[in-house]
Amino acid sequence: MYDFVRGPLVWVAFAVFFGGLVFQALRFFSLTRKRDRVFLPAGMQRRGGESAGPSRNWLRSLRFTIIGTHPVMTVVTSVFHVCLFVTPIFLLAHSILFYESWGIGIWSFSESTTEVLTIVFLACGVFFLLRRILLRRVRAITTAYDYIILFVTVAPFLSGFFAYHQWFDYKTMVIAHILTGELMLVVIPFTKLGHMLFFFLYRFLIGSEYSFGQGSRTW
Amino acid sequence: MAEQTKASVETGKIKAMLDRRKGKMKLLLSHCAHCSICAESCFLYTAHHGDPQYMPSYKAIFSLGRLYKKRGRVDRGFLEEIKGIVWRNCVLCRRCYCPIGIDIPSMIAFARSICRSQGVYPDFEEPEHRESWL
Repeated sequence: MYDFVRGPLVWVAFAVFFGGLVFQALRFFSLTRKRDRVFLPAGMQRRGGESAGPSRNWLRSLRFTIIGTHPVMTVVTSVFHVCLFVTPIFLLAHSILFYESWGIGIWSFSESTTEVLTIVFLACGVFFLLRRILLRRVRAITTAYDYIILFVTVAPFLSGFFAYHQWFDYKTMVIAHILTGELMLVVIPFTKLGHMLFFFLYRFLIGSEYSFGQGSRTW
Repeated sequence: MAEQTKASVETGKIKAMLDRRKGKMKLLLSHCAHCSICAESCFLYTAHHGDPQYMPSYKAIFSLGRLYKKRGRVDRGFLEEIKGIVWRNCVLCRRCYCPIGIDIPSMIAFARSICRSQGVYPDFEEPEHRESWL
């Protein structure tokens, strides 16, 4: 069992993950088209200095962004996403496995650092769970699917944490860790976790008032 | 107008409309994280003291989202229900802000198109038929 989930199944999971992301990106490009450039008359073009004010104004304007309206959510979300990516990539055990398989050495955190990152990640996950349960407006649009996706995201870290500390049966927990990790990879391109890719496609490529930059495509 | 209130809806036509825009709309619906961060960007939400039914994501999910979930197999009562969501609760000012970048106004506008195609829309003309919230 261990050799199977660690061997062929990992390949399948990564193939579905990368293949799925490529497929979805191509789908996005087929659903959108190049945006016609709008040329404003000279008098209507925005003056260069208009958008870049003194730093005092810039800081004050943050009040009207998500940072201002949801400061806690901004911090928790940012920390959660950083830990989500950084922890598994720079984990010592993963680094060792990678070296054994490919002969390539990846730098890794110390195990105590990784443990702290995992605990922080799990705490953020708990925050999201409580938020879904307790806030009326989140509850209003929450379905079972949302809880499942949150669990799928957190499960690899939880089982990894258990395996590291050898709580419960070690072998079972390691297999659970690998399986849930593979499940997460498989699920990413085809669920709302696809915002991993689509955040950048939507916010950078689609031209709209809320784009980061000009946005070269439109629906 | 009297005939419209009683006639059944053409589910085939609704389904055809939904299928035509399925690619974009299903993509947007699937990527909504249900995080409710868009709530404060809606002035109707703040004006109604945080009532969830005025949240942009709520409006998109419970109008267009439900139409796709039912695959267009709806009756007139259902569309009347959606009418309140997409017209009374939303003025399509396009101020809703999604951190992921989902185009919420286009979803609500599309739901309006579907209602309108079946003769379900607020009556601005006949005084005695006028919606109480207009």
